[in-house]
Amino acid sequence: MSGQLGLEGPGTQPGLLDRASRRSAGPAGDRGPIRPGPARQIALRGWSAFDRKFFRLAAIPAFLAVFLVTVIPFLAGFGLSFSSMNSVHNHVFPPTLANYKTIITDPVTHTVLLNTVIYVVAAVVLETGFGLLLGVLLASKHRFVSGFRVIFLLPLTVAGVAAAISWSALLNTSQGWVNYYLGLLHLPQPNWLASSSAAMPSVIITDMWSGVPVVAVIVLAALIGAPRDPIEAAMVDGASAWNRFRYVTFPAIRPALVLAALLRTVAAFQQFALFEILTGGGPGLSTTVINFYVYQQTIVYGNVGYGAALAVLLVLVMAVPLLILFALSRRR
Amino acid sequence: MEVAATVDQPARPRPRPRPLQRHGGRVVTLILLVLGAVFVLLPLYWLLSTAFKNGNDAFALPPRYVTKPTLSSFKQILGGQFAHYVLNSVLVALGSTLVALLLGVPAGYAFARSPFRGARIINTWFVLAYVAPPVVFIIPLYIMYQHLHLLDTYLGLILAYETGLLPFTIWLMRVYFSEVPRELDEAAWIDGCSKMRALWKVVLPTVWPGLTTVGLLVGLASWGEYFGALILTGPHTETAPVAVEGYIGTTFANWNELAAAGVVLVVPALLATIVVQRGFVRGLTFGAVKQ
Repeated sequence: MSGQLGLEGPGTQPGLLDRASRRSAGPAGDRGPIRPGPARQIALRGWSAFDRKFFRLAAIPAFLAVFLVTVIPFLAGFGLSFSSMNSVHNHVFPPTLANYKTIITDPVTHTVLLNTVIYVVAAVVLETGFGLLLGVLLASKHRFVSGFRVIFLLPLTVAGVAAAISWSALLNTSQGWVNYYLGLLHLPQPNWLASSSAAMPSVIITDMWSGVPVVAVIVLAALIGAPRDPIEAAMVDGASAWNRFRYVTFPAIRPALVLAALLRTVAAFQQFALFEILTGGGPGLSTTVINFYVYQQTIVYGNVGYGAALAVLLVLVMAVPLLILFALSRRR
Repeated sequence: MEVAATVDQPARPRPRPRPLQRHGGRVVTLILLVLGAVFVLLPLYWLLSTAFKNGNDAFALPPRYVTKPTLSSFKQILGGQFAHYVLNSVLVALGSTLVALLLGVPAGYAFARSPFRGARIINTWFVLAYVAPPVVFIIPLYIMYQHLHLLDTYLGLILAYETGLLPFTIWLMRVYFSEVPRELDEAAWIDGCSKMRALWKVVLPTVWPGLTTVGLLVGLASWGEYFGALILTGPHTETAPVAVEGYIGTTFANWNELAAAGVVLVVPALLATIVVQRGFVRGLTFGAVKQ
């Protein structure tokens, strides 16, 4: 990504001045009498104080605002993680490592961590895999495919809450449509959201509902944008469809696929609405992931200090897959 | 490069696939797409159809797919507090979009045009701010807001949304601005435009499609946002997504009303997406994948 940033290096001068002066070295008077001297001088004379500082003035308020709403809360949160602030005590000082000790020793945290790993790995792998398949299918040139493209775009627009309430009704054990259909087919009717074995798979499936189309749409865009010549050349050479995909198409869309996997990893760590609405983290701890656990500890139980330490843990856990994917995106 | 070298050799005729093979691929594609479409459409169909049913039909098993549509659920929820929550959502979405664009568009322009020291660090910082789970910012903000009396205020929620929306706006606007040739601004400057005027009259009209895309994506994100709103709002500023969850807790029996509330959430987002369509993938991928 950083290759196309358009930032050529250090220095605060806008590109205008040197470019314009270079151009003025050409045939004189090509712009008429408004340019009696080197453009550099005109530009400098012409700019008001506001104009000379324009870029700085344009950027600074926004950067200050981002600093205010991201860096300060993050540092505050990091500070809180060393406090023993909870619903009873309001102490910020003295700092203590007790919260981090609890994280290490509490078996609940271990279960929550394991749940997080299961959820994120399953969601990302399944969504990337099925999304790749769907993207490739949607890229095929049959006439009936274009209608499907619109259908698979729909979940991208649906707010997480709306998807969650819909699925919670569909997966309802006794009244939901899904179990009704399974009953028609004489298949087992699991207790989707309320049994500890089915709850996590249910959340993963509903996450796939919005995640697979995201990956597919990105893959599709990359496939459409991929150069046709190498594929046709491979076709002429008689490469099989699989080999064409494996050696020509796939390398071309790999950066987009890695990016899609990155986005889904981020989304999986941030997922909240599905857990809150479908399962509430239960039954028991079976669908409690770190993100949800932080919310429970801080907002529901008031253990702000401990929750803040868990948020730090979340950031650390999240860094692992993101760094792996970043490394993958660098590899050529 | 290998491919280019082999092209020069006389091309072998490609073996023609037998009819069964050709149609086989098409049939498998069709079957897979239909299965996928059923999976995608089922919750949407449930939402839409249930919203227009009365209480009895909403719960009926076997499902009643075609019923006489009734607006009673919408009347019920919009006659109550829900209209107020929808209005809150609209206000917060408009407010946070306005703030993000007012601050983010000039910054994106400066970012695209004027190289400065530390740009790489700021890039990384913006990506991290976007990638970080909201809990990391929202929970400390919740504590800070308690002291600043910003809980249950529009301003507080809008500020909290800018943690993700403002970096997103600056980043994506920078991508759009850097696609406009510098010569365009420079020509305007040489013709005597101030930088502000050049941005307003020459550059902005050129990036207008990008600008509307960013605006709609940002508005869409704050319209459907749930987590921050759940924590930072109260009785005065509660937004529609939080209110929808409230229906589950208190009146779970009323699936039709729940679905109607869901439809109210989904429809504006759907319309906005139809408007941005092409820009959608661009926004989704932080500007990295063009459609």
